Amino acid sequence: MLPRPYRVVEVHPEAADTVTLSLVAAHGDGESSFEPGQFTMLYVLGVGEVPIGLSGDPGQGRVRQHTVRRVGAVTNALCDLEVDSEIGVRGPFGTSWPTGQAEEKDILIIAGGIGLAPLRPAVFDILANRDRFGSASVLYGVGTPQDLLFEEDLHSWRGRFDIEVEVTVDRSTRPWRGDVGVVTTLLPRVSFDPSKTIALVCGPEIMMKVVARELSALGVSPEDIFVSIERNMKCAIGFCGHCQFGADFICLDGPVISYASVAARLGVPEL
Amino acid sequence: MDVDELRDKAELLASLSDEQLGVLTPVVGEVTYPASEFLFREDQTAEEFFIVEKGLVSLELITPGIEPMVIVSLGPSELVGISWMFPPYKWKWTARAIKDSQLLVFDAVGVRAQCEEDPELELVVLQMVADQAVKRLHSTRVQLMDLYESR
Repeated sequence: MLPRPYRVVEVHPEAADTVTLSLVAAHGDGESSFEPGQFTMLYVLGVGEVPIGLSGDPGQGRVRQHTVRRVGAVTNALCDLEVDSEIGVRGPFGTSWPTGQAEEKDILIIAGGIGLAPLRPAVFDILANRDRFGSASVLYGVGTPQDLLFEEDLHSWRGRFDIEVEVTVDRSTRPWRGDVGVVTTLLPRVSFDPSKTIALVCGPEIMMKVVARELSALGVSPEDIFVSIERNMKCAIGFCGHCQFGADFICLDGPVISYASVAARLGVPEL
Repeated sequence: MDVDELRDKAELLASLSDEQLGVLTPVVGEVTYPASEFLFREDQTAEEFFIVEKGLVSLELITPGIEPMVIVSLGPSELVGISWMFPPYKWKWTARAIKDSQLLVFDAVGVRAQCEEDPELELVVLQMVADQAVKRLHSTRVQLMDLYESR
């Protein structure tokens, strides 16, 4: 429960309301390893603590990245941090994207909006171990071209010969010359065998629900579709119950969870 | 273009029999549009329709003094144009190639004439158009939900 001090070494603006913070342990003794899909609790002294997914390359050593969008007091404070600021960090916590389960299968990474942030570590992991998987595709949808995150990475991945990357926006104006439409319209553009595909999906819950339904209709088993669920968190270690989602605690049983186990719950408004 | 070629190039017409495809071959050709060129403009008579083979085509709304608003982009195996099938046979939107595109182009008047002669052909063609229209409707409804807004 005790936060460790971490220092900000870089603040990279991704979009008008989103930044990526790069952090290192302030005294050189912090945990740096994590699994793609996990989150940490970031504590801004005097303001508060929030769960934020890890968004960097898990193979990169001592620097941890978190991508934060302004939605409230703590995230505003995080986005306003400057280099050399110190914050408290607990974790990493939670379950991870099951890339191990995807070996020799086709893998689909489908992200909406800021949902690409928790999936970015999985993409790095897959590319670092590319030979273990069948086809690999990243499908990314955002509201407008101005909302695109990690544009450098998207261009870099797109330039490779061993991964397909498709991007679409819901609304565009010039000079956007790419796809316009919802992210599910990108599914016919990429090659995958639904009977041996693992899909990793992250974004707003409405988006994950729509995508998971479309994947199921195409023949991907709900057991092979994984989503990342968010709920308000306080302790992050399964004591307080704030993150309860039906029978699961998202801090322990999530955030990454199979669509098969949450499909019914995603239709319950009270949850 | 013969029946086998047309079948290879147009996955969208998979449900048509060889005989039905044979009726369409005289009214279909191939065309390329470089990026930024218009396929058709709103309010024009719908004399042709297209199926994308390669590239990307946008459907846009043009309003003077405002940047064109792209409604949707259409890629390989997608139908460009639905209004050709229904009176008054006028385009509601403007279609423009976003990328260099290769398309199958159908003579809409010719296809409608063949459909009038052959009710079975008309049914299959209508089903194909309806299927595309339903998919577009579902996608448009999802687009309207503004999926990426925080809630």
